[in-house]
Amino acid sequence: MSTMSLHKIFAFVCLAALPAFALIEPETEGMEAVSRDDGTFLVGSPTYAFDRKNGAGGIHSESELWAPEKLRMRLLFNRLSETPSWTPHEASIWLRTGNELGDMIYQDPLYEKDDRPSNRTPILEGGFRSPAFMGLWATARLFQVDHYSDETMRTRNRYVDDSFAWFGENWPMFSTAYGGLGYTGHGLNASVLAGEEYVWVFGESSRWIPIHYSPRVEARADFWDLSLTLAYENAEFQNRKKSESGTRTEWNGSAYYRCGKLCKDGMLWFGAGVQFRTVEDDGKLYTGLEDDVVVWPFAQLRLTPLKDLSLDATFGVNNRDWLLLDSIEYKIAALPRLGLVVGEKNVAGTRLNPIADTEEYFDGDTISLAADGSMQMHELYVRAEDSLSVFRLGARVAGWIEHGAETFDTTGFVNDRNLVYRHGDVARIDEWIQGLSGEVWLGIDYGEMFSFTALGGYEHIWGPSREFEVSPVEYYAAFEGDWLLNGTFRIAHSLRYRSDARWNLRSSDPKVIKGDWYWDASFEQRFPKYGIYLSGTLLHVLSDDVVQTPNGNYDRLRFVCTVRKTF
Amino acid sequence: MRLVKVLSRTLAVALVSVACSFAAETPAQDSVAKSPAKDSVPQSPSDIAFSHLYVSIEGGEIYPWGDLMDVVENSVYVGLGVRYTYWENFDGIVHFDYTYFKNRMKVVAYPGVHQAMGRLGLDWHGRWIRPVMIGGGFICNWSRADGGEERNFDKPGGTLVDNETEFGYFIRLNVPFLKYERLRVGFDLLWEELWTLPKRSNMLSAGFYAEWRLW
Repeated sequence: MSTMSLHKIFAFVCLAALPAFALIEPETEGMEAVSRDDGTFLVGSPTYAFDRKNGAGGIHSESELWAPEKLRMRLLFNRLSETPSWTPHEASIWLRTGNELGDMIYQDPLYEKDDRPSNRTPILEGGFRSPAFMGLWATARLFQVDHYSDETMRTRNRYVDDSFAWFGENWPMFSTAYGGLGYTGHGLNASVLAGEEYVWVFGESSRWIPIHYSPRVEARADFWDLSLTLAYENAEFQNRKKSESGTRTEWNGSAYYRCGKLCKDGMLWFGAGVQFRTVEDDGKLYTGLEDDVVVWPFAQLRLTPLKDLSLDATFGVNNRDWLLLDSIEYKIAALPRLGLVVGEKNVAGTRLNPIADTEEYFDGDTISLAADGSMQMHELYVRAEDSLSVFRLGARVAGWIEHGAETFDTTGFVNDRNLVYRHGDVARIDEWIQGLSGEVWLGIDYGEMFSFTALGGYEHIWGPSREFEVSPVEYYAAFEGDWLLNGTFRIAHSLRYRSDARWNLRSSDPKVIKGDWYWDASFEQRFPKYGIYLSGTLLHVLSDDVVQTPNGNYDRLRFVCTVRKTF
Repeated sequence: MRLVKVLSRTLAVALVSVACSFAAETPAQDSVAKSPAKDSVPQSPSDIAFSHLYVSIEGGEIYPWGDLMDVVENSVYVGLGVRYTYWENFDGIVHFDYTYFKNRMKVVAYPGVHQAMGRLGLDWHGRWIRPVMIGGGFICNWSRADGGEERNFDKPGGTLVDNETEFGYFIRLNVPFLKYERLRVGFDLLWEELWTLPKRSNMLSAGFYAEWRLW
């Protein structure tokens, strides 16, 4: 544990959170919701998605919930997101480009204005991280995802002065450039990055709020059993339409200690840390943090009284909020081959994300982002997986109950061209919600050469569903195939179906996102001896072009290609 | 008639090239076949990869297909290519080409369009067709109008005033017909489909290349 960097822990946690099958790489880190359908994954922008795995427990999405593993994620309003990522890549140089398919090119003059499809938008990325010299390395990266920008572009561009991006005039939902230096060696892994960033975050009012970070500086250091992070952000807010502008100067960061060698063989493991934000607001801003500061100390404990029994708990508390995440898991040793696990997990607290802002200011209204009281969620699950020769068979059944779930008490709607905003406050559902879910999967693995997984899931939720922000999908099916030919050519496919989902609270009539089939395919030439990787990926081939979130942008068929050379 | 003329000319060149190719004394794709290790121990893909690398220059003509014939004229293209050994019977190919399409339609406010093309794919040269190669892969075209004004975005051809990028796929026939030491000359016939809307866009290109083996 001691030598493991926080980055590696993040990677491990992310991998562990993924479904049992391989994923096809989306446009950029943190957009995994694009290529997942083992639950409710609705994407309206690279900076906003509803991401809830089937049977996750509770009606919230994963990005709404704080956890120690997310200390280095970006806080986009009240959600934690990996996009836009400021985590340095491994030593390499890379280029990536792509496009939503369907630009007209030479078809253009053949069609009258009314018959022409709306504009398709690209992605662009380039970056490098140098090999280490005496442990020192340099890195730089420029990336922006213009996908998911077109539908809201003409409404959003009235709020900002210029094209609000490093390149082009698609008003992409984020556009980031940074560079910096790092050091790796002698048990230390440290970096300092500085850059400029344009990002649109999605408010509880359903507005897109433009933020221009100029500059943003982030320093990280991992040494011994300690991980430190410190960021300085000069965030500029504006509303050109109303001639408003404001600035937020923010310092945020964390210190996180995890017991390493001391606890390696013991029955007790512990960790502790503190995360903080302090802001100084000037001029007109659209969000507010009570007292301009939040300090969030937390502690973690893992107890393994028996070889097959483990208890985990994370507890954080401050003057405003508290949050408890805990679980118990027991491996039934009597049936070792079956891999039978029985577990129970709980989430309880006053806010799912205690480090987020506490208020949003919209159209003369103050939207409270912190509801009175607390929520609690309890889930019981049984999981089993057996393998026979090249076959793998598994199942998971879970039941959960939740009380005080976060919702939004809508008091009115406002139209802005094709977008709809809402007034109200974050509130609670003062009832018990119950859910029952099941998943089964069948896999075939033949060494590294071939793997195939078929996966299906069902979940039913009882409760006041019209008060849920999103009524999750009921069932899904997924088929994943991954071939590695001669160890150097990879073909990956993912074919999935999910049933309807429904947004209940962001428009006067609920918005149903119809169930659909999705097919992703990726082709990659690999030259491991030379560290060269060339890939082309098609995303969402079969699905209809739809807007998956209120005030979101069209989810379209797109192609992304990447060239990477590792050092 | 235009289509028939293009097709017959291209087909004639292709047939002559294939004939020349098979008649050539040394097979063009001798890189891996002649490797001494092949007769003894089969080479692993990682040994074959990049064991030979070729650079090329290419020039030819591009023929718009279907509705596109009414939009732009046939045009000359020039380009650079890289080919590398990948597996025993496969080569990897990377191409960058440039062309300038002159407009046919009077409603379009600019004289033509600059187009840069990037291609990434594989050529197969199985023993039964060697030295001829059949290939395919992905294509990325970048287009920009030669002039025009952005405020005319909604007018015919207006979207090309800003940069436009589109992807698609291609299949091709690669017929080397002359070989002298490290130099190889051949004919390249390529069919491409871009994933445009409201319809897909197809083009055919035919050209000659000269290729130099670096190692």
